[in-house]
Order: sequence, then structure tokens, then C-alpha cells
Amino acid sequence: MKHSHLHKTGLINFPVLLKVVGWLLIIESAFLLVPFATSCIYGEKDSMIFLISAVTTAVTGILLNHCIHPRTKTLRKRESILLTSLTWIVFSIFGMIPFIFGSTHMSVSDAFFEAMSGFTTTGVSIIADPASLSHGQLIWRSLMQWIGGLGIILFTLAVIPMLNSSGGVHLYNSEVTGITHDKLTPRISSTAKMLWGIYFILTIVLTLLLWIGPMDLFESICHALSTVSTGGFSTQADSIGAWNSTYITVVITIFMFVGGINFILMIKALSGSLKTVTNNEVFRVYCKVIAVTSVIFAILIALNTSSIPAGHIIVNALFQVVSTITSTGYSVSDYTLWGPGCMVMITVLMFVGGCAGSTSGGAKLDRMLTVYRFMRNEVYRVIHPNVIKGVSISGNVLSAEIINKTVAFILIYIGLIAGGAFVLSSIGLPYIDSFYSAISCTGNTGLGGDYVPVPEAGKWILSFLMLTGRLEIYSVIILFSKSFWKK
Amino acid sequence: MRIVIAGAGDVGTHLAKLLSLENQEIILVDANREKLGVLDANYNLMTLAGGPTSIKTLQAAETGKADLFIAVTPFESTNITACAMANWLGAKSTVARIDNYEFMTEKPAEFFKTIGVDHTIYPEFLAAEEILTALRHSWARHWFELHGGEIILAGVKVHSGARIIGQELRNLTRDNHNFHVSAIRRRHESIIPRGDDIILENDIVYFTSTRQHIDDIRDLCGKVQYKVRRVTIMGGSRIAIRLIALAGNEYKFKIIENDQARCRHLAETLPDDVEIIYGDARDNDVLTDADTVHSDAFIALSDSSEANILACLTAKEFGVNKSVAEVENLQFVGEAEALNIGTVINKKLLASAKIFQLLLDTDGSTSRCLALTDAEVAQIEARPGSKITSAPIRNLRLSREMTIAGIIRDGKGMLVSGNTTVRAGDQAVVFCLGGYLHEIERFFS
Repeated sequence: MKHSHLHKTGLINFPVLLKVVGWLLIIESAFLLVPFATSCIYGEKDSMIFLISAVTTAVTGILLNHCIHPRTKTLRKRESILLTSLTWIVFSIFGMIPFIFGSTHMSVSDAFFEAMSGFTTTGVSIIADPASLSHGQLIWRSLMQWIGGLGIILFTLAVIPMLNSSGGVHLYNSEVTGITHDKLTPRISSTAKMLWGIYFILTIVLTLLLWIGPMDLFESICHALSTVSTGGFSTQADSIGAWNSTYITVVITIFMFVGGINFILMIKALSGSLKTVTNNEVFRVYCKVIAVTSVIFAILIALNTSSIPAGHIIVNALFQVVSTITSTGYSVSDYTLWGPGCMVMITVLMFVGGCAGSTSGGAKLDRMLTVYRFMRNEVYRVIHPNVIKGVSISGNVLSAEIINKTVAFILIYIGLIAGGAFVLSSIGLPYIDSFYSAISCTGNTGLGGDYVPVPEAGKWILSFLMLTGRLEIYSVIILFSKSFWKK
Repeated sequence: MRIVIAGAGDVGTHLAKLLSLENQEIILVDANREKLGVLDANYNLMTLAGGPTSIKTLQAAETGKADLFIAVTPFESTNITACAMANWLGAKSTVARIDNYEFMTEKPAEFFKTIGVDHTIYPEFLAAEEILTALRHSWARHWFELHGGEIILAGVKVHSGARIIGQELRNLTRDNHNFHVSAIRRRHESIIPRGDDIILENDIVYFTSTRQHIDDIRDLCGKVQYKVRRVTIMGGSRIAIRLIALAGNEYKFKIIENDQARCRHLAETLPDDVEIIYGDARDNDVLTDADTVHSDAFIALSDSSEANILACLTAKEFGVNKSVAEVENLQFVGEAEALNIGTVINKKLLASAKIFQLLLDTDGSTSRCLALTDAEVAQIEARPGSKITSAPIRNLRLSREMTIAGIIRDGKGMLVSGNTTVRAGDQAVVFCLGGYLHEIERFFS
């Protein structure tokens, strides 16, 4: 119990903030060595660029970390929130260097858009044909998604002892998705370690499964990285459709599905209490939604297209539904031909998203379920005004504060999409595209469209939507409020 | 260490925060979900909503794997039941907060061990002991005796005019090596001093010394030992009752209590020579009537920390030499110490000292602890082969947040210098800032 809060310090302890950013950059530079090694193996020119990026990142990180000596090492709420948003931006800035100076020669806006799309696991790309990219660039795109999938900061919570404190808990709460944030263990670093452990295992298993099939090792790794993270970058322009293999489609569907489940729940299931999973209402709703919409999709596909065999229809329908609800954004074939009914449902699924605490995006099923039950009660109260009913999920009655927070979240989420779409349309995007891309980017899905013709300003707006959607709004929006910066 | 704490009241919450800062694995259990929300979101610990005596809850908290189970709900029988159940589930050691002096005597303690309650904390009793020590050594703020007084730690507030003010510590100890300045509390901060630190006016200085030399310190600080005989207590709380029972005939007590029913109850339970006055001790007339001017000590034990602090200040103006205030709000402890209040009593700190003792040494027999607002003092035995015994203290590169104040070797207290090497089996007295107790453990085991 130090009385450090009695010292006159600034509102935000910037030294400690920058020191932690330094730590994070050192970690990012280590990740940048992976595409460097890949490029070296394939003898590509990009290897130098990756080495330079890694060194630049490492030097910046070491300078920040070693030259700054904060007087107090505590991360309070304000610093934690700012740090979370700042980290994602700084990571994207350093992550975009290979795209600017590499063989792709992108503009700064394009490169930032691509990097942000990677880290937030959105998966929209301004690269029309990924097959034209070097192996280094391809693996870096997938690796960005893998790092961002579970959370950049979550990874560092596992390795930096300084963050195994109250500050780390604040960071965990502002980065991990969901209404409330469960912990697996008393110490935050061991929770982070377990989450990364299972994430790593899933990735390895998927790589092996894909490699057994018609994919080569390199493409298996890339797809494994961006599937488990529900990111959606592919190495082919036609995405998973390029392989035309039922085996690949099914395997990827299963792992996208897994990526959309709450990871905490998954670990509990693996540690023996399978009942907690089957009793979890959100998980059950997740399964039901997927099953029901897949059937509707299959019917719509059968009505709107001809000459597709029945087995194919079911696999494709399931694949597309799972890919959309988990916000992965892979597409198996030209789903735009499936008719307007499917397109509307895809838009809704993008909005809904997967389970909280997973790698998926969207508004999250937990919140949708909460709001649905809350609305149902309110409708019931129209005829029985004196009835008092609680909103409960998996047997836990939610407090009024949580319901308020959830409803507010959904409203801000809708407002964000509407605002984003309005700005996009006013800078020249067609009406449908503005809405579709705003929903897709805010939900980190990345389905749809060609982003090459989007004006520069539009790319920055979409990048902002991706970040806000990934950090679940509050951590980013609060930075724009006066009260955050003022005493 | 994995520690399950049942009861997120004042003591439970305080312990959870403190132990989390000490890098322990904490699971806090309480039936009230609302109490847990804020803690869960802001501290590095896990919370669990559920009754502390529910088997399901205890299993969910993985009590079986716990090294220590602490039951500190407001209800004694809940605590005892919870501990018994935790023990049955496999917790290595259990502590229950109790409310009954009988349970602390030898035979019942043995019985409680058989049903799974290994240790008991009785904060009111600890508070009474603390007050008694403060009355006996009225010139010091804190008085902590180790190993039957072989080593004494005394916290003294130095006022203007004391010889010690303005001196560098290295000059202070040059001519004689009779004491060790272990820590200085200045405003809201505790400092582990170095040789070039200077003692300032209004510092609380923590000296470590042996029994022979403790009087030198008193003279150095310009203090006089007052003999306390007549004591006025404000508030007839449980601590007051325990204090009177513990003190025996040593002092003459007078209790001012503003609840009539309570007064009657006190009159029935306490010995006849205790004078009970009905009235509000914050009222000057009442104080005058109660003849407070002729009291040697004033102890404020009402439920309100603010009232206690103010009443003590008033009593000081009346000319009472020694004042003791119970301050339950931790934020105010520092403030109260900065004001002219002789000794501040806080049940949370007393309870945490007991828990720290168990942390350092699970059977709690060889170690003792004293918890201050942002520092801890621990007596701990150096195990054979531990890091602390490997070299003279100056070569150990101890962290700046801790200092070894003295050691007890073969039952004799001695002070240490940089050249001393701690031997296995020595009892060391270590002073460390909050959040570093686990460092000590690293050095000694």
C-alpha cells in the first residue's frame, strides 16, 4: 500500500507507458524475424526489408525500454486504456514498414490499412491477387492476424513480469472481448500463458491437418495462422475456393468454429469439466444459430443456383455461415450469386459475431443474447407491468449495470457503423458499399468487396473502425472524450 | 503460494490486495457478487461469488490445492465451519477469524486443530495487546519486542529540539554502534535509509536496538518516559473490554460511552473499579466532568475513525500525555500519524501481520511480523544453505527496499553491520517496504 497516489504526478504517467511500448516493440521485432527467415529460405529480395524492419523495431523498442526510467511503475486505469489503443496503432505502424519498402511498394495509407486489417483480424486487403506477393509478405500477413487474434497485449502479459500486477489486469480487461472478463487462475500471467498455450496447440494441429490434405506446408502454415485467429487472409485470390477440396473446406470450417468459442470455456472443457461447456448458454446459442442459418442458406442456395450437388451445398452453406459469424471472412465460392436473402443474413451475422473471449469479432453473441432476453422481458411487461424479471445467462442473473452497459454498447456499435457509413458515402462510396464495408470492418470480418478504389481518407476511416471494433469501442472512444485528458 | 480468502469484508479485502501485491495467488470468495466486481476488475487476483461454507463454492475455488485458507467473514461460526471444510477438502493450513477469547486458550486451540482450524486471528485481542504495549512504552509510537526483548524495535516521532535532528545517519552511528536506524517514515512515505540520509523534524524514526541501549535512544530523541496510571477510554467497544481484562490492576480505567444500554452492559461485565460515564467524549463538558485533565492516557475506540482522531487531539489539548486512536480507515492512518496522535491502532494491519507470519513460516512458530501502513517488519530464521548465509551482508546486493535490522544468535540479540555474516539458525529482523515480503522469503529459504 504505497501512497504513491499522493505525489503530484501528471494525469497520465507517460514514462511507464512508453517503457511498456518499448517492451512490446522488442517482441514485435522478434515476430518480424519470421518473415525474414521465410524470405531467406525462398531466396527473395524482401528478406533485406524484413531484416531492416526488424532491426528498426528492435532499436526503437530497446531505446524506449532502456532510456526511460519511470518514477512509479504502476499502470493505472487511464494508462492501461491508452496503452491498449496505442499498442495496436504502434504495432500497425511498425508492421506496415515491409509493405511500404518491400516488393509491394504500397502508399502509407494502403500499408497502414493492410497492417491494421491484419492485426485486428479483419482480413480485408487491398491486394487483388495475394499469389503475386512474396512468401515473406504472405507469412507476415498471416502472422499479424495470429498475433492480433488473441490480443497483442495478452501475449506480453504472459512474458513480462512487470505486467503481472493490477496494471496487467486493467490491460487484460481492455483487450479481451466480452461483457465481463473471466480469469482462469489468480495470477493474470498464468491465465495469459494458458490462453496462448491452447492457441498455439490449435494452430499446430490445424497446420498438420491442412498439410496432410492438398495444401503445401507453407500455405498450410499461413492458413492455420489466419484461421485460428479468425482473420481471413489467404494466399490465393479465390480464398479457400481455390483448392476446390471438400477436405480443406471441412477442416477449416471446424477450426473457424473453434476460433469462435470462448477460449476460457475451451480450457475448462479440456481440463475435464465438459459440463461447463454444454451448460453454457452462449455456446449452445452459438451452435443453434449456426445450424439454423446453415439450413436456411442451403435452401436459398438450392433455390437460386442450379447444378450444384446436394452435399456440396451443405458444406458450402455451413462454411460460409461459420466463416461469417466467427468474423473470419473466408469465402468458398461466389456467394454473391446466392441471392439477396443470403446477403442480408450475412450482413446480420457479421453484426452478431461469435462468443465473447474468442478470437472472433462483431458485437458478440453474449451481448446479443443479453439484449434479446432483456427485450423479451420488456415486451412481456407491456401486458404485466408489475412483473419483475431478471435477465439470466447460464444461471447467473445479470445486474442492472451490466445490462445497461450491454445495451449502451450495442447502441454505440450501431452508431459507429451508421456514422462510418455516412462518412464513407460522403467521400464517394456507393450506398450499399458504405454500409457493407462499415459493418464488415467494425465487426473485423473482412468479407466483401474490392478495397483498391476506396479513397485514401476512406482507408483511414475503415482502419479506425477496425481498431474500435476490435477493442470493443469503449477503450478507443474514451480517448476522444474530454474527461479522459482533463483533471 | 495459493491462498483462498473467504469473506470480502474490510480485513479480507485488505489482505487480498496486500497479498496480491506480494505476488501470491489469491482467490477471494464472498457470497455478495457486487462486493467482488470492483476487486476483480482492478487487482491481480481471482474472485468467486458463493457462500464460504458451500462445498460447491469451495471446490470451485480449488481449496484442495490451497496452501492457506483464510476465513475472515464477520461471523465466527461461519469462519470455523469454512476452515473445517477447507481442511477436509485438503487445504494445507487454515486460519479463522474469531470473536471469543476462550478459543485462544490452550485446550480449545487444541480442539480446534483437531477439527481443522489450524490458527485463529482475533483482531480485537491483538489490538488490546498493542494498546497495552503502547501504554507501557508511552514515549514510542511503535514498540515491537522480539525474542523476549532481546531485540527491540521502536518507532519514535522526533520533535524539534531533539539532538538527533539534522544529523547524517553515518555520523550518528560512528562513535557508538548501539542502535540501527531501520526505516524513516516521512509524511506519507517510508524510506529505508542509507548512510547519507538526514533525520528531519517530524519524522517517525524506527530504531532497532538491544534492551541495554534502548534508553539511549529515548534520550537522543529528547523523550521522557511517563508513568501511565489513569486511562480514559472513549467508546466501550470489544477492544476496550479485552484491554481491561488484559491489563489487570496495572491501570485505572474510565470509559466514556454515549449509548446508555451499552453503558449498562459494560457496568455489568467489567470489574467494579472501572468507572463508566454516559456521555459523548467529543463534548468538552463531558471531558471536563470526567476529569480527563488528570488522565495520563486517552484511548479513542469508537466506531468512527474521524471521531477518534479528533477526540485524541482534543485530549492532547487537555494535557493528556499519551493518546491512542483506533483508525480503521487505512487512508487516515498516515494522516493520524502525521498529527500528534501517540499510537494508531488498525485491526486490518494487525490481522495482516498475523497472516504474513504464516506466509513466512507456515507453522508460525519461529517468525513474528509487524505490519505498518506501507512496510513490514519480520522476524525470520535463516535456513541452512539459504542465500542470506552465503556472504557478508554488504556483498549480498540486497534490494534497496529491505534492510536487516538485527539478528538473534544463540538467544542473544545483536546488531548487524555490513561486515556481519548471517549464520544458519540465526533469527533475523528484517524491515521491508510493502510488496517486498516475498523477496525476504527468497533470501531466507
